Amino acid sequence: MAVITMNSSDVGPKALATTRAAAVRGFRRGDRIFRLVTFAAALSVLVILCGVMLSLLFGAWPALRTFGFGFFIHATWNPVKDVFGALAAIYGTLVTSVLAMLLAVPVSFGIAVFLTELCPWWLRRPIGIAVELLAGIPSIIYGIWGLFVFLPFVQSVIQPFLINLFAPIPVLNILFAGPPYGIGTFSAAFILAIMVVPFITAVTRDVFETVPAVLKEAAYGIGATRLEVVRRVVIPYTRTGLVGGVMLGLGRALGETMAVTFVIGNAHAISSSLLAPGTTISAVIANEFNEATDPMYISSLIALGLILFFITFVVLAISRLLLMRIEDAEAK
Amino acid sequence: MTAEPALVQKVTIRDLKFFYGDTQALKAISLPLYEHKVTAFIGPSGCGKSTLLRVLNRMYDLYPRQRAEGEVLLDGDDILAPTTDINLLRSRIGMVFQKPTPFPMSIYDNIAFGIKLYERLTKSELDQRVEGALRSAALWDEVKDKLKSSGLSLSGGQQQRLCIARTVAIQPEVILLDEPASALDPISTAKIEELIDELSAHYTIAVVTHNMQQAARVSDYTAFMYLGSLVEFGETPKIFTAPQQKQTQDYITGRFG
Amino acid sequence: MNRTLRTRRQLVSLVMMGLSVVATLFGLGFLALILGTLIFKGLAGLKLSIFTQMTPPPGSKGGLLNAIAGSLVMTTGGVAIGAPIGMLAGIYMAEYGRGTRFTMIVRFINDILLSAPSIIIGLFVYEIYVAEVHHFSGVAGIIALAIMVVPVVVRTTEDMLLLVPGTLKEAAAAMGLPRSIFIRRIALRVARAGLITGVLLAVARVSGETAPLLFTALSNQFWSWNINEPIANLPMVIFNFALSPYKDWQQLAWTGALLITCAVLALSITARVLSAQGTRK
Repeated sequence: MAVITMNSSDVGPKALATTRAAAVRGFRRGDRIFRLVTFAAALSVLVILCGVMLSLLFGAWPALRTFGFGFFIHATWNPVKDVFGALAAIYGTLVTSVLAMLLAVPVSFGIAVFLTELCPWWLRRPIGIAVELLAGIPSIIYGIWGLFVFLPFVQSVIQPFLINLFAPIPVLNILFAGPPYGIGTFSAAFILAIMVVPFITAVTRDVFETVPAVLKEAAYGIGATRLEVVRRVVIPYTRTGLVGGVMLGLGRALGETMAVTFVIGNAHAISSSLLAPGTTISAVIANEFNEATDPMYISSLIALGLILFFITFVVLAISRLLLMRIEDAEAK
Repeated sequence: MTAEPALVQKVTIRDLKFFYGDTQALKAISLPLYEHKVTAFIGPSGCGKSTLLRVLNRMYDLYPRQRAEGEVLLDGDDILAPTTDINLLRSRIGMVFQKPTPFPMSIYDNIAFGIKLYERLTKSELDQRVEGALRSAALWDEVKDKLKSSGLSLSGGQQQRLCIARTVAIQPEVILLDEPASALDPISTAKIEELIDELSAHYTIAVVTHNMQQAARVSDYTAFMYLGSLVEFGETPKIFTAPQQKQTQDYITGRFG
Repeated sequence: MNRTLRTRRQLVSLVMMGLSVVATLFGLGFLALILGTLIFKGLAGLKLSIFTQMTPPPGSKGGLLNAIAGSLVMTTGGVAIGAPIGMLAGIYMAEYGRGTRFTMIVRFINDILLSAPSIIIGLFVYEIYVAEVHHFSGVAGIIALAIMVVPVVVRTTEDMLLLVPGTLKEAAAAMGLPRSIFIRRIALRVARAGLITGVLLAVARVSGETAPLLFTALSNQFWSWNINEPIANLPMVIFNFALSPYKDWQQLAWTGALLITCAVLALSITARVLSAQGTRK
């Protein structure tokens, strides 16, 4: 039978009570401080966002006051005469992103369908992991690949082909009018598309995997084809999440700097042809900010940043809200 | 054995009610826990026995929308009072859970961790205390050569005794055991039961169990609870041989539906 | 009649599924093409001199030593500042503020910051720091990277701490342990693998970031340990050299890009392996 040893270091109940009380007082202080520190850190997340918003507003104010609403609807960008309008950059940002999504969304959905419905089991993990790893590759890699490899190819092969192909077709012959520069909206959109495919694929696959297997089995059980299962079961079930994923990709595309700056051509012009050089908000800022010395010039560039921030904030907020709904539903 | 010392009420529960949100889980419970005695709480699941245990060290404070009414006196002081220091209270009333919960650190640190928080000790004093605690939990001989290995490397029964040692190490006055052996094999269970018996020499013990034989084996007093009420409380032999209430009788004879 | 309908449905399905295979080949093919080119072109310039020599003036040979060192300094600095803030914030959200409205708002905003355009962060740091002290510097770059690190770490820390079993929390509370000690000594230890994963992901994220450095750290053709001056860094060197007309510079840009990609991939893979080990327990 073991003996309960009471050691020499054991103190009397009274002394123990005092040291304990002191220790506990220490706890309370430590706890309060730690709680406060962590709270401050959590608050800093909000402070960063507000700081970004306020500093952009503050920096953009001179330009916004001078040009007023005209800043948003004029395409003139003339640092020499100090006249600035954001329309060309806004247009370029939206057009490249939307084009990129038109290309990236079907491809991403295709990959996600392949991964969740068709792919043999032993290949699912490797491909899934590859997609996630690719989503982490710095965008400047896409940029220099676009510049050195893609552009020459586009200029010599793709663009002449498109120009010739669409020449006899009305409307399309305007959208795809020559000459083949290589650089331009089309190339930028294409690079962006390649860049966002891993993002959208990763989200889409995760969302597809939330579909309960019983639902799919039930559909297969009554003789539905794979396509019908995807269209009638998987997509309706995951619609919110899909839109969330697409918006997340769009948010990335809108704000992307490096993948675009190399290949868009940096021309402050709105051209009817998708093959012509253009620019985007982030490309303008990246290219011109360090050369800008005039206060109005700097302010106008910051105003562009403000617009970009606003657009991406809205897009990302919508995306988050939609994705949150999926997560909540899954938690239940 | 000399004459039994007079019974001292270490903990006095008076008219205790407990609520999860709007649901009342305990209905006006009153009973004492006698010093250096083992009190067992039995009853079908959902009867409130674990809830009662969790009131005694105010574990419910961790969760929102849970509250207790009534009085729980520890040496005459109401622990339910808002002025009670919870850390201090819990250093006086220790608890061991159903599933072993060793901390992710070495066996030695699992024990020393709690001691160091409350007391400043030299290395050799600390070593002694750790050894003492492990001995009280009948674990010393099994782990003395691997004090530096992780607490998670022990078997389930050893982990549970490690948790008991950890609780004993900070020198509480009361130890609450919430189905301490229900996740263990029969041999480990026997060891825990033996341990409870030994610990009662120095500590006031409350143990929740769904195993009636266990209650009969380890406890001096038994409380039978049903649907949030205390049906019967008394000396264990009496409860098991001559229960006053029909419900108690039905339960211990297994005729409970 | 019924039979032809069935065949047609199956045919359509087959065609669409075929298209999804095509999409996979197309998408992954392009990504493979990019990586392939990168490795091919990058390896061509990978010599010992890359790690021993400074970035050269136009038209001559050199290495990337100062850029690599600068990138290491700034990434380390950014993570050293951003990761603790992110971790503390994550701790608050998962422990003290679990389930509160405040935490929900912070999580929402954090998720937005996570995907916000990095060039905006560069502008922000320019406004609050560079414009005030009137010069570009490594410090500004570090601040910008730290701001990029915070959201990544917040997210993983919160997620990982939420996975810590509640039984441990109760066991700690039952010993009278204060919350802060439970968090620091027990919860963080349980979640360690996940937390390291988060930090690695953050390192991976910022080590290739270029846009936030454009108007903060700028770059420097020479060696500099002074973080109050512009500091060379790989992304900016790649940016500048790639857009230059000089073949030597362009080659250095490719090699630099390869280095960054390898570093990022190595970090992400390590992070994956770690988190896989962490969740297996």
